[in-house]
Amino acid sequence: MATPDQKSPNVLLQNLCCRILGRSEADVAQQFQFAVRVIGSNFAPTVERDEFLVAEKIKKELIRQRREADAALFSELHRKLHSQGVLKNKWSILYLLLNLSEDPRRQANKVSNYATLFAQALPRDAHSTPYYCARPQTLPLNYQDRGTQAVPSSGSLGSSGISSIGMGALGGPAPAPQPLLPGQSHQTLGVGDCLRQQLGSRLAWTLTANQPSSQTPPSKGIPNAVSRSMTRSRREGETGGAMEITEAALVRDILYVFQGIDGKNIKMSNTENCYKVEGKANLSKSLRDTAVRLAELGWLHNKIRKYTDQRSLDRSFGLVGQSFCAALHQELKEYYRLLSVLHSQLQLEDDQGVNLGLESSLTLRRLLVWTYDPKIRLKTLAALVDHCQGRKGGELASAVHAYTRTGDPYMRSLVQHILSLVSHPVLSFLYRWIYDGELEDTYHEFFVASDPTVKTDRLWHDKYTLRKSMIPSFMTMDQSRKVLLIGKSINFLHQVCHDQTPTTKMIAVTKSAEPPQDAADLFTDLENAFQGKIDAAYFETSKYLLDVLNKKYSLLDHMQAMRRYLLLGQGDFIRHLMDLLKPELVRPATTLYQHNLTGILETAVRATNAQFDSPETLRRLDVRLLEVSPGDTGWDVFSLDYHVDGPIATVFTRECMSHYLRVFNFLWRAKRMEYILTDIRKGHMCNAKLLRNMPELSGVLHQCHILASEMVHFIHQMQYYITFEVLECSWDELWNRVQQAQDLDHIIAAHEAFLDTITSRCLLDSGSRVLLNQLRAVFDQIIELQNAQDAIYRAALEELQRRLQFEEKKKQHEIEGQWGVTAAEEEEENRRIREFQESIPKMCSQLQILTHFYQGIVQQFLVLLTTSSDESLRFLSFRLDFNEHYKAREPRLRVSLGTRGRRSAHM
Amino acid sequence: MAIGGGSGALASTPANLNAVRETMDVLLEISRILNTGLDVETLSICVRLCEQGINPEALSSVIKELRKATEA
Repeated sequence: MATPDQKSPNVLLQNLCCRILGRSEADVAQQFQFAVRVIGSNFAPTVERDEFLVAEKIKKELIRQRREADAALFSELHRKLHSQGVLKNKWSILYLLLNLSEDPRRQANKVSNYATLFAQALPRDAHSTPYYCARPQTLPLNYQDRGTQAVPSSGSLGSSGISSIGMGALGGPAPAPQPLLPGQSHQTLGVGDCLRQQLGSRLAWTLTANQPSSQTPPSKGIPNAVSRSMTRSRREGETGGAMEITEAALVRDILYVFQGIDGKNIKMSNTENCYKVEGKANLSKSLRDTAVRLAELGWLHNKIRKYTDQRSLDRSFGLVGQSFCAALHQELKEYYRLLSVLHSQLQLEDDQGVNLGLESSLTLRRLLVWTYDPKIRLKTLAALVDHCQGRKGGELASAVHAYTRTGDPYMRSLVQHILSLVSHPVLSFLYRWIYDGELEDTYHEFFVASDPTVKTDRLWHDKYTLRKSMIPSFMTMDQSRKVLLIGKSINFLHQVCHDQTPTTKMIAVTKSAEPPQDAADLFTDLENAFQGKIDAAYFETSKYLLDVLNKKYSLLDHMQAMRRYLLLGQGDFIRHLMDLLKPELVRPATTLYQHNLTGILETAVRATNAQFDSPETLRRLDVRLLEVSPGDTGWDVFSLDYHVDGPIATVFTRECMSHYLRVFNFLWRAKRMEYILTDIRKGHMCNAKLLRNMPELSGVLHQCHILASEMVHFIHQMQYYITFEVLECSWDELWNRVQQAQDLDHIIAAHEAFLDTITSRCLLDSGSRVLLNQLRAVFDQIIELQNAQDAIYRAALEELQRRLQFEEKKKQHEIEGQWGVTAAEEEEENRRIREFQESIPKMCSQLQILTHFYQGIVQQFLVLLTTSSDESLRFLSFRLDFNEHYKAREPRLRVSLGTRGRRSAHM
Repeated sequence: MAIGGGSGALASTPANLNAVRETMDVLLEISRILNTGLDVETLSICVRLCEQGINPEALSSVIKELRKATEA
């Protein structure tokens, strides 16, 4: 028929349909539509357009069918075709012919052909995913055909072998007769049929479809679950004999066990928590042992898997734990990758149908070798999992870190890798904390804990603490303290000092790169870099904080102000204040009003050098009246006060202020004693001249003077001790430390040490209560003396006054010309003088008692001093008794002081 | 003849006719070796379709389907 040169594909296609179907054009409409659709949808070929590849395939196929002559013929033809160069698309036609080719030995069932060709034609190297994804249809098929034979794997290859085996094995259900094509062995068909009967239509289709390829040689492997029934039937068919498990069967089982799934022969025994080969299987000992050794890998895998599965459900596990699980997942993925490679290797051998021989087949030994490295890996991971049970947060990181201390470099690198992943959250917490002062730690994993109930005034002291259990073992205690301090400083600045300077301005250090890099740095020799970062951040932040405190809040100025006012440093002010306050404070305490006293304070300030102080300081100075107990005079309730707030209150906490007030109290009292004694002295000076005319008083006055001198000496020594030994030295030390302080904690510590020293040296702490009481007793005596002396002087002066009056009157009378003195007046005068003179011994004795009392107290005080533990107090005792005046009187003081210059306390 | 018709689509000059005829012979022989079951006319149609760029995979599946339809 004369056809035009070029026909359109559609027309050609229609012709094709007509020819194949053998019908006229009108009838083929449906098929034609179908054909057009198929061709239209599969437009691009999925394989490479390589002519030679296809030719090779054809040759291989022919060889496989044992048609070497035909293969040679084909080569010849192909060469001819190639030389002719008429066809432009040789690949295409060759591929088509290959697809349509049929093995003459195969049965005529077109369906089977299709499936076979489909199976064969799919390019094997286009897929790399595990076998169950690639060719689902062929999967069970191969297992099926494994099921067709029962001989050990020792190399019975060859398609003919299969047929014969199938023949022998199928004793059981009689195969239904089927139409045969010439050249087909009907045993395989029978197999397909009986299987079809047993397994249902779906599988049967795939099964029978693969009948031809069941003749492909490698006879490894064990039947899987599907064909288990088949083997059973076969077994029934066989005449007795225990079934021997082939090594290939074991290999397949092992591959399942590697994933934690029970194989046919190797199952997990829960009682003993290990994999065991089923006892009744007939297996040589060496194979059994090797299989069990390999099964350990599955056990390790299960353990790790269980851990990660459990933990992934646990909501409160925290970020560190989650990254740990992620790291484990990653490792398991690698493991699965290996498994899939092994599986595909197995699959490859199943499918290829080429006699590869035993060199590259999977055996248990080969598996042992290949899984050696993964086994070490999994062992390490399982050990890690065990060790990390129940831990989270920084503890988990410490646990993992503990495992990096091993000599095995492989294990070490693995654990270090995991550690770097695990410590990533910890480090990111850390960096956020030290650069921003922010802490977002919902699972309590970080080692800095924040207490949300604490308010800003206690921020520095109470709000942030170290959670010691969460400190990872790769950070030292010192580092973690520094970290805590840095974050605390930043928060302090932000909240208490109201200083919102962003950290980057504060710290010239640029923010680091991603923490994982630092994690790696952390563990390698660049540990110094990490330490350096922390140090730099610490240094800069603290410096900035101190700057702010000093400049904006003048911390050091306030400290000095405290010294001047509360610790009586500003002498002229204190003296003037006392002068002004004296008339007020002798009144009973209940009559005092605060505003009066404040007014007096202001006056004192304005009149002395204190007025040149900064107004900030003066603003905070105030009067405080202590609690009034009955019988108190003003002296007992008066106190100065200094107000602190804001950031200063962090250093001068309430406890500190109460310490200061106590010390003030003590110092004020001592000062008052000094003041009193000065008054006494003044009295002496003034009245000595006047009373020279009354010789009978001279004894009393003399005694008075002596006692007063003793007391003056005592008080002087005390004052010296307090001022120089206690206050000045401690203050100097404090000042030095504060100037050199690197961060706020140092300042606070130094300040507290200062207060402690002062308190103990001023006899205010609990250990020196006895001494303090003695001292108070001394002070009381001084007051007594003052009172006594006042009384004496009053009486003496009154007497003097009277006598003068008498003399006056006498003179007056003489001038008037009368008797100077009448007898009665003289009598009265004499009587009065006699009375007066009689009262003198009373005064004397009173003074004597006072003296005696006083000296007793002082001696007791001295004894106590010499037994105290503080060196300076002991030296005070020497000074107080410099001429051993008391030692002469007090036998106890004569006992030697011993080697340490200290008497024992048992006196 | 179908062969002539087939080859007419491929080559125009009579000098090529021999080559074409030889090519067809070769292809027929290959087809016979491979036992594809294609007769001459069908083969020529297929050749023409392939030369025109049809995907051989799709074509082969079509042919198989058609054959199946014939059988069924």
